[in-house]
Amino acid sequence: MEATHDVLVIGAGCAGMRAAIEAHDQGADVALLSKIHPVRSHSGAAEGGINAALGNASDDDPEKHAYDTVKGSDYLGDQDAIEILCNEAPDDVYQLEHWGAVFSRTEDGRIAQRPFGAAGEPRTAYAADITGHVLIHVLYEQVMKRDIFAYEELFAWKLVVDDDRCQGVIAWDLLNGGLKTIGAKTVILATGGAGRLYKGSTNAYACTGDGMALALRVGVPLKDMEMMQFHPTTLSPTGILITEGCRGEGAYLINAEGERFLKDYAPNAMELASRDVISRAEQTEIDQGRGIDGSVLLDLRHLGAEKIVERLHGTRELAMTYALIDPIYEPIPVRPGAHYHMGGVDTDVDGETELEALYAAGECACVSVHGANRLGGNALMETITYGKRAGRAAADWALTHTTVTVPPGVESDAERELKTLLDRKDGERPWKIRDELAHTMHENFGVFRRERQMQEQGRIVGYLRERYENVVVEDKGEVFNNDLTQALELGFLLELAECMLVAGIERKESRGAHARPDDYPERDDEKFMKHTIVRWIGDQPVLDWKPVTVTKWQPQERTY
Amino acid sequence: MTEAAIHTWEGETMQVALKIWRVTGDGERALETYEVEAPEWACLLDVLDIIKDRQDGSLAYRKSCRMMICGSCGMRMDGRAVLACKERMKPIVEAGHVPVISAMGNLPIVKDLVVSMDPFWSKIRAVKPWLDPGYDEADERERVRSQQQMNVIAKESLCIMCGCCVSECNSMESDPEFLGPAALAKGMRFVGDPRDQADVERLNDLNGEHGIWDCTRCYMCNERCPKGVDPRDAIAKLGAESIKQGIDHDMGAKHANWFVTSAKTTGWLRETDLVPKTQGILGALKETKFALKLARRGKVPPPGPIHVAAEVDEARALYDLVKQQGVDGAAGIVQGERALQRLEFEHTVHQDEPEGEQ
Repeated sequence: MEATHDVLVIGAGCAGMRAAIEAHDQGADVALLSKIHPVRSHSGAAEGGINAALGNASDDDPEKHAYDTVKGSDYLGDQDAIEILCNEAPDDVYQLEHWGAVFSRTEDGRIAQRPFGAAGEPRTAYAADITGHVLIHVLYEQVMKRDIFAYEELFAWKLVVDDDRCQGVIAWDLLNGGLKTIGAKTVILATGGAGRLYKGSTNAYACTGDGMALALRVGVPLKDMEMMQFHPTTLSPTGILITEGCRGEGAYLINAEGERFLKDYAPNAMELASRDVISRAEQTEIDQGRGIDGSVLLDLRHLGAEKIVERLHGTRELAMTYALIDPIYEPIPVRPGAHYHMGGVDTDVDGETELEALYAAGECACVSVHGANRLGGNALMETITYGKRAGRAAADWALTHTTVTVPPGVESDAERELKTLLDRKDGERPWKIRDELAHTMHENFGVFRRERQMQEQGRIVGYLRERYENVVVEDKGEVFNNDLTQALELGFLLELAECMLVAGIERKESRGAHARPDDYPERDDEKFMKHTIVRWIGDQPVLDWKPVTVTKWQPQERTY
Repeated sequence: MTEAAIHTWEGETMQVALKIWRVTGDGERALETYEVEAPEWACLLDVLDIIKDRQDGSLAYRKSCRMMICGSCGMRMDGRAVLACKERMKPIVEAGHVPVISAMGNLPIVKDLVVSMDPFWSKIRAVKPWLDPGYDEADERERVRSQQQMNVIAKESLCIMCGCCVSECNSMESDPEFLGPAALAKGMRFVGDPRDQADVERLNDLNGEHGIWDCTRCYMCNERCPKGVDPRDAIAKLGAESIKQGIDHDMGAKHANWFVTSAKTTGWLRETDLVPKTQGILGALKETKFALKLARRGKVPPPGPIHVAAEVDEARALYDLVKQQGVDGAAGIVQGERALQRLEFEHTVHQDEPEGEQ
């Protein structure tokens, strides 16, 4: 064992760093562990903003925020968790500002807020269109200030479980090679999403669902895994994110006929309807022949150059670099792309999982505040509020327990398994399996889901998993062997795909991101206002259900 | 799914060739050539991915967001630092060029295109990179600051810590301990922050050895920054702010101060006085030999009555205006930046008017 800590946080994006800061401030000895340097984490790519009812741009309050979130979740979000988020959000955002976050300002010098999709008030606090960048850097500044140690470029491969509790992690050291075991009284998973399951994805290469798979493999259940959000405005063909902030600032979505087609889908909210609604509208327009080369157009021109340069500078930079289009003069071709996993490791409102001393926060967790559809701006907020809560709970537990045990066989078993993989010389390289997985998931488990396609995808993933058994790592070296870690990541992704499909097939209704237009086009609260729960038993996902927590808001018809 | 179907996703393709400096963990170097088929939209990073997948799994480079925000994929193309995810390959292919890809400069190579960022981060840490608000517990729930005040650090806040500026820094090449453009821009991010209460202390630290005055002003950091941070301008702001705060013990500061004094009093730069004013009389005496050499070649103006420009009043008025408006120090440079930005941008808008696109 290399070292032990009270709290070990795996993943160092906004949730991970916020958790580490909180645990440190509670008096725990904390370390971060991440396969990339903390500031490289994908939280930094969040653009549009962070939702909190500050009331700086209108008369707003946490209850309105909670209602919008419950409705946005298509009544699958747990309302107790949502209320906690919305109540704690304002102070958590002020905290970030006091730490030095460079928010955009109102005329009177307060934190500026812009309208966002499916929000009744302009509630999204922002830093131009680089909010995630600003937050990840301010959190890393606070991590440096506290001198919190970070194991950088260590790839978490296995959780150590002994005596029915999580006691650490076994990780591959990217820079130097070799496995390292880090013991910990508590472990917090904060590894982000699994968007790399899809070909068209806003997610970074690092978003391979590591934390979800780590939990799954030690028997911890995942929740609502079928709920993958497709963001309506991603650049074609790369899937690079164009912020919802564009529409918040007033941009239009138009089809090939030059029409603002949302009038037919969300006549009141138009471009500011929820993401699931707009993605379906776009896909329908494209499928019915009113797209342009498989895209629709996001038109910013009427906003004027000044607003675009001041508030959407990053968007302009992205469009100019990756689409060769200056949005001041031309509309941007966009289409739905995989963006955010509402599902994840099943936790309670303190980030606790079913396994003692294992916690999760951020996108890899499912508390659940997003239910079947997340509102733009709520993800960053969740990383902060629930990162903080998980950090606090983990520190509390760690400070009242003393020992860490890593059974002797655990490390040698891992060494042996790794050697088997590295010694294999004949077989398939991972990239073909990875590409086929990503393409077929996009085809068969995308914006719309159809029974036949989901069944077909189940067979495809099964076949890909068989092929994965013989995967070959070409790089046999010790130094910066990410050929190895990319192969391990693919193993994670394949298992998560299985979980998503089993849950998707059994959810025989349309709710939020899970839309079945052919066989179950309506929401069915009687049968399905409940979470899917998937456990890994033997070598297969096994489905179960769990009730949704309702506090104040009974389900209603959801229109925008 | 068939290969053909996958192909459709990618669109038209092109043949791309790269030469890559491969470096083993033991430091052995070799320039290898690769040629692959890539989609026409491919950036350098996409091409590296194809090479790693299909030709050599041992090729090492960092990557993550592929959208210019995580700062992982800094490397050199034809000897200049770039983000691999930002460089589109099509124009390079069309020009028939085969670029040479290598690791960033000024940082130790770990393997292939991967460098150790440890020296980079230790310099970032050296500038105490966190806000010092002057309190432990805030007494107000929301702190009010105007957008205008916050705009001072707009550019410095864009930094993604990719290291491209450090890679190209000429000063760091001769003095590896020089704090360097990234750390100094980070320093300015706090010195310029209207909420930070430690600016004098920070400026004193940054005026030390290997600090702001060791920058040679080659502007390579501005040139190669992929995010428009303009680290050299940040260093200039730190210099201006230091002098405004009376922190001018360094020769660099004295040098700059003399420029101002000379321009204000005579409307000219009095170069003969520059060395003694910067290095002091004793220091200047050491340069006598060099000065005589210059004089022999007619590079030194004759000593004698101080020459005063005919329109010196203009220079003085300008000086007074800057003082009156309170735009001395960093504020003046920031004002200039914003004016330039507006100018550039009105120019582009103006160009478009005949199209009636507004």
